[in-house]
Amino acid sequence: MNLWAVLSLLFISIIIIPNFLIGINLFTEPNENWQHIKDYLLINYTYNTLIIVVFTALATMFIGTSLAWLITSYKFPLRNFFKWALILPLAIPAYMGAYTYHGILNYTGVIQVTLRDFDIMVDQKYFNIMTIPGAIFIFTLFLYPYVYVITKGFLENQSASIIENARLLGGNTFQIFFRVVLPLSRAAIIGGVVLVVMEVLNDYGVANYFGIQTFSTAIFRTWYGMQDLDSALKLAGILMFLVIVILVAEKLIRGRKSYSSSTANVRPIEPKQLKGTNKWLVFSYCSFIFLIAFFIPVLQLSYWAFLTFENVFSSEFITLVYNSVFVAGIASAIIVVVALIIGNYTRLHRGFLPKIFSRVIALGYSIPGAAIAIAVITIFMSIDGLSATVAEFLNLNGAMVLRTTLVMLVSAYIIRYMAVGFNAIEAGFEKIGSSYTEASRGLGMSTIKTFFKVDIPMLRGAIFGGFILVFVDILKELPLTLFLQPFNFSTLATQAYRYANDEMVHEAALASLFIIAVSSLCIFYFYKILDKASK
Amino acid sequence: MKRSFKLLFFAMLVLLTVIAAGCGSSEETDAGAGQQDSPDDTTAEEQASQDEDEGVVNLYTSRHYDTDRELYDVFEEQTGIKVNVIEGKGDELIERMNIEGEETEADVFITADAGNLHVAKENGLLQSVESDVLFENIPEKLRDVDNEWFGITKRARVIVYDKDRVDPSELSTYEALTEPEWEDRVLIRSSENMYNKSLLASFIELNGEEAAEEWAAGIVNNMARDPQGGDRDQAKGVAAGEADVAIMNTYYIGRMLNSEDANEVEVAESVGIFFPNQETNGTHINISGAAVTQHAPNADNAVKFIEFLSSEDAQGKFASANFEYPANPNVEPAELLQSWGEFEEQDIDLSVLGQNQQEAMRIFDRAGWK
Repeated sequence: MNLWAVLSLLFISIIIIPNFLIGINLFTEPNENWQHIKDYLLINYTYNTLIIVVFTALATMFIGTSLAWLITSYKFPLRNFFKWALILPLAIPAYMGAYTYHGILNYTGVIQVTLRDFDIMVDQKYFNIMTIPGAIFIFTLFLYPYVYVITKGFLENQSASIIENARLLGGNTFQIFFRVVLPLSRAAIIGGVVLVVMEVLNDYGVANYFGIQTFSTAIFRTWYGMQDLDSALKLAGILMFLVIVILVAEKLIRGRKSYSSSTANVRPIEPKQLKGTNKWLVFSYCSFIFLIAFFIPVLQLSYWAFLTFENVFSSEFITLVYNSVFVAGIASAIIVVVALIIGNYTRLHRGFLPKIFSRVIALGYSIPGAAIAIAVITIFMSIDGLSATVAEFLNLNGAMVLRTTLVMLVSAYIIRYMAVGFNAIEAGFEKIGSSYTEASRGLGMSTIKTFFKVDIPMLRGAIFGGFILVFVDILKELPLTLFLQPFNFSTLATQAYRYANDEMVHEAALASLFIIAVSSLCIFYFYKILDKASK
Repeated sequence: MKRSFKLLFFAMLVLLTVIAAGCGSSEETDAGAGQQDSPDDTTAEEQASQDEDEGVVNLYTSRHYDTDRELYDVFEEQTGIKVNVIEGKGDELIERMNIEGEETEADVFITADAGNLHVAKENGLLQSVESDVLFENIPEKLRDVDNEWFGITKRARVIVYDKDRVDPSELSTYEALTEPEWEDRVLIRSSENMYNKSLLASFIELNGEEAAEEWAAGIVNNMARDPQGGDRDQAKGVAAGEADVAIMNTYYIGRMLNSEDANEVEVAESVGIFFPNQETNGTHINISGAAVTQHAPNADNAVKFIEFLSSEDAQGKFASANFEYPANPNVEPAELLQSWGEFEEQDIDLSVLGQNQQEAMRIFDRAGWK
């Protein structure tokens, strides 16, 4: 066991403990509530959840991959803008997107009001977004960038020669997409889709607002409504089991194949100029996605923020911005570092343990935020208890108290979002392969030196990519922040939520816009660096 | 590239600090606690020297209104007691206090819905308070029998109807909405909503379980659409002609009438408010309430704080800003509320809203109320 293994083991156990607490509940004796849940609810939960997950996965896979491919391999108007702008929907929390689209489409929304100005009354059911298809629509719009970013990153750096060869061999656009791009980038695509699926499985905001019963809403309903933590944890356990199945399936689909380039001349793909109708078709497609997934929601939120600005904006608001950026920044940085350590370990060591590590790490993402919160708070209580005992033993007045501090909140973020950072880093490691590392080791450099001198510079893109994804995710995060916030500490997300939850969506707009603005800035800034770095 | 190194270095540093803080907790207290004030020392000292220093009151609340914040500021000014706030949903805060147990830092728990308050009491999270001020300000029926919680605002759950399509004379009781004539004409939000749970819980108390279940099934049968959205969405559904009546809380109408969005005002103006069951057992009311927690480190301040919330000044603010009914009978409701008229309230012990909550949930599930 070297340092890497010890550190990896340490981090993994931090992540696994809450999961373990939940998993163990699957095997406890069911109570009478469980029978009730099985009789009246379980089928419905499962059905709704599966429908939403499957269709969202398909839709995000199609949109994300097609955009990534069009943008990497063709030139068309505004391509350079779309390149990063199409990531921006990630800056909008899905629940906020849901509030916004409902706001646009409902009876007092801009569309119906305008129609009424022309004396057109519409049947409400055509404007009802609070349905299962509506939820799929929302999730697709705001989650497809996961697939887009990861696939684009892969295509840009990996596929040049293959795609160009396919072109030379006379493949047309569709053939190249379905027979070359999709199979080639399937590991990247699936990596993105898995993130989408886990995000959907874990969603509470959208499903709750739309009144759709899913596993996630069921957990809260059972836990709080029925006051039955045991049954709630059972549901969470089933959800976790489902995620493990998905993760194993991912591994199987990815198979043993790795497409890392073995030659030194990894070069970016040379995009081909599109002409005529095709050019405008592709342009319209990109514009359409950008409009509905980013521009329109932001426009609506801006209008609401304009209406309520005076009521909502105060000096306290600046604090909110600071708080949000601060905790998200710290947690993201830690996640990236831990992901690098574990990623490096699992890459360099074959065997059972490393393999398990890389899968287990994703589990935090599968558990409902509130369940993680419970686990984390329990753990910190015992840490505090321990520290109190030690303090007493040493005859000190006062021990260290970590609960109700930011340390607890940040730890919870790390457990929850490790998977996002790790996926990005792992993909990065896969891309660079191990030949450089082996060469460096062969030339007599130590693992640590190799790590800093060879691996890290090559992983730059993955590191920034992972950081962005985690940072933006945490900025939007809700259940954990709500549950574990220290006294007098709020973030933009919790403020937006507190308004929206009290049905004051207009007042929530300003905080939401700030989340979107900060996230967008990060995406833009990091994108520019990445772009420069890759040239 | 250099930048990325810097970032990574910084991140490493942060990580190491956190690890050091985590692993070396005992050493840190060993070295530092004697001379320096760790955060915990401060609170310990504050508790010890409460007579000199006015101290703090730690609040767990599920009410997130800006007016509430303004009230806390007033309290701080008047007493010098600092109000620390953690906001969250009522049931989440209960769960948090459950886990924290004796170690909790919460002094006061405030939440909407008597059901939640009862659950907190059942979980042994609250303590009985003997305060003449509170006994005077809050009527007996809005308090817990053991004085473990005190109502601070009242909310009425009523029938809202379209002024054009429905004549108020057609309306009478909640029960009547299950009649065939109301088929596909009723809107109400999901069974997950605590206001609905408490509403059904009150019916279990007043009419018995069987009748309550019949009522839930009857409403499901008459729903114009599957439950969705919040209370405001029910009013919009009525205005849009999706249904003719909706069951919702009055203060949402108050807020919509005062919305900065002209379209919402229009919706609110197009509907009327009907207080049901005036000839029978009264309109369902619920409360927001405050309680001192069982293990409150600053119990005296907590009592002072709740007394302040029950005072006429504070109650006036509650009543005028959020369109709720004040709990203190000496305070007049806002003008808008007065314009809706007076009404008979359900005469039940509000604790039953909590006692019957689980049964209510099961009934909802059996009735297929989403």
